[in-house]
Amino acid sequence: MRLLPFDYAVRNLGRSRTRLVLTIMASALVVLLVLTAAAFVRGMANSLVNKSAGNNVILMAAGSEESLERSQIPGSTAGIVAASLPGIKNRFGVTYVSPEIHAAIIVKDDKEGSRSWHAVVRGFLPEASLVHPRASVIQGRMPKPGKDEIMVGGLAAEMMGVPDSRVAIGQSLWFDNRRWNVVGRFTARGTVLDCEIWVPLTDLQVATKRETVSCLVVTLDDAEFADVDAFTKQRFDLGLTAISETDYYASIMKFYQPVHAMVWTTAFLIGLTGLFGGLNTMYAAFAARVRELGMLQSLGFPRRAIMISIIQESLLTSATGTLIGSMLGMLLLNGRAVKFSMGVFQLVVDYRVLLLGVAAGLIMGVLGAMPPAWRCLRLPIIEALKAS
Amino acid sequence: MTDEALVTNRNSDTPSTDRTDVFLAITVTALCANLWRFFMAYIECRNLTRTYTKASTTITPLDGLDLDIEEGSFVALMGPSGSGKTTLLNLIAGIDSPTSGSLMMGAVDVGKLSRSKLALWRSVNIGYIFQLYNLVPVLTAYENVELPLLLRNLSAKDRHKKVAAALELVGIDDRHDHFPRQLSGGQEQRVAIARAIVTDPKIIVADEPTGDLDRASAAEILSLLQQINVELGRTLIMVTHDPKTTKYAGRILHLDKGRLLELESSTASAPGIHP
Ligand SMILES: Nc1ncnc2c1ncn2[C@@H]1O[C@H](COP(=O)(O)OP(=O)(O)OP(=O)(O)O)[C@@H](O)[C@H]1O
Ligand SMILES: [Mg+2]
Repeated sequence: MRLLPFDYAVRNLGRSRTRLVLTIMASALVVLLVLTAAAFVRGMANSLVNKSAGNNVILMAAGSEESLERSQIPGSTAGIVAASLPGIKNRFGVTYVSPEIHAAIIVKDDKEGSRSWHAVVRGFLPEASLVHPRASVIQGRMPKPGKDEIMVGGLAAEMMGVPDSRVAIGQSLWFDNRRWNVVGRFTARGTVLDCEIWVPLTDLQVATKRETVSCLVVTLDDAEFADVDAFTKQRFDLGLTAISETDYYASIMKFYQPVHAMVWTTAFLIGLTGLFGGLNTMYAAFAARVRELGMLQSLGFPRRAIMISIIQESLLTSATGTLIGSMLGMLLLNGRAVKFSMGVFQLVVDYRVLLLGVAAGLIMGVLGAMPPAWRCLRLPIIEALKAS
Repeated sequence: MTDEALVTNRNSDTPSTDRTDVFLAITVTALCANLWRFFMAYIECRNLTRTYTKASTTITPLDGLDLDIEEGSFVALMGPSGSGKTTLLNLIAGIDSPTSGSLMMGAVDVGKLSRSKLALWRSVNIGYIFQLYNLVPVLTAYENVELPLLLRNLSAKDRHKKVAAALELVGIDDRHDHFPRQLSGGQEQRVAIARAIVTDPKIIVADEPTGDLDRASAAEILSLLQQINVELGRTLIMVTHDPKTTKYAGRILHLDKGRLLELESSTASAPGIHP
């Protein structure tokens, strides 16, 4: 099939600056929205997946219904597991078993508690850095036990709703009627750990008046999850249940599925508005060109060739909009912290999110051109030629 | 009675009763008929009817029209407004299809072509000149003329040759890189004429090509069309309102209320002038 020159599509863009700007803005908006929704979902998913820990298993109290905050197991269990569960990762004689406390507590600004915030705290032993290799101290040092010291994750301030300077090294927070000094800052990019405050295990036990821990996080070496599962059943006297860390976070993810659906629906609806706005300007633009399109048909150009030219034209616009939308998305969205009940996560604009946004922009370019173009092209030529 | 006997009986009054002669006569007659058809009438409308139906009203601007147009003729089509001139022209140009009747163009029944075949047929056989030029505003004069050639399998060089020749013929080669908005109405129509002739179509149709032009430009355009008819031998069918324009045409047809009235040769003029 013979096509119209590409130049024709390009020069048609210049016919109305206003329309050009409007359609570019409309497609940039739609792309930005798709990016936002995708970055949100992706960021949330990312934070709930401990990427480095594919072979981590969480051992918690049987009957705690997979809630770490409800789970209580004796601290001594750690030693028993390390000694009797074969196949756990071991380096220089240290077994990768990390007894931890997960708690949501209220921390105060000062002794009087004139201001207070919810915070997620994790009681930890040095083994924690073995099983959570993504967590690393970036400033200051690890807190020492018995000295009322804490270290704060990169997004914890966001989680508490305070400026980051409020939790900088040298600052202090109050809980259990004591002042706790921030001696270190750590980060665990892209995981929920990043919004936590880490407290030495024994100190947190005292502060929360408990002798137990919440769970044991175990990194497996040559053991399989099934081995650990079998172990918990064999040693039912320990009262443990095993869940792989990936599954644990996946189950939390499932809990947030409705949030995702809502995010997508919202983005879809607003995007649709943008699409219709764009369509409307297209209708107007092509309606003014009906006679010309009729003339092209009278010369013998098939409707398909004209449709392709119109789609080229529309794609040029939407591709520009897509470019702008994508750049805005990367600049404005990537890394932006969003707070939700589980913690804080960062929006992620990675290549997959970008790909989705670009695809949405280009598909919109193609589909957006077709109905207005078709409305002009389906007219009989003799009627099109009479249009003013 | 057998067929043989019938033939013999029918020819019994002729001097020769030789059967082979009879067959020869029949064959020659048939051949002549076809030759006549081939040479004489390139466009042949038979019982051509076009009705428009919108909602409950039906309009029939062309009702059982018969018309032959020979190859190489210059026909002016006249008649009052709404008499169906444009309708007839559009049917001949293949941008509209008859409701019934046949429209033979050469050996092709144009009325029976599919939409895509008709588009292809148009691109080869028809050059259309519009009253309002219908140039593409975003393309230069040169590019406008080149447009129909893009439907052909031609190299850029061949296209250039043809476009240059067409622009020269209409006398606008010095304005080839101007956009339509930079040209006068008369110049625009010249470009449109160049676009209509650049593919060497058999038939050029023009719907009131001078309707939007002043007298001087109109005269120039009309002699240009005449030149195309005479020098290039193209069949030209032109709808016009102005009786003066008919002096350029070789044949004048008057269409009124679906009836076709023939006025002889270029010396004739419309009935309005000689009552
Ligand atoms: N698409 C259409 N739908 C309905 N009726 C139509 C259509 N096109 C033409 N007609 C009718 O057909 C009749 C003939 O129209 P046509 O355009 O052929 O007239 P014309 O002789 O070219 O007139 P004019 O000199 O004013 O251009 C008119 O009555 C017109 O209203
Ligand atoms: Mg007309």
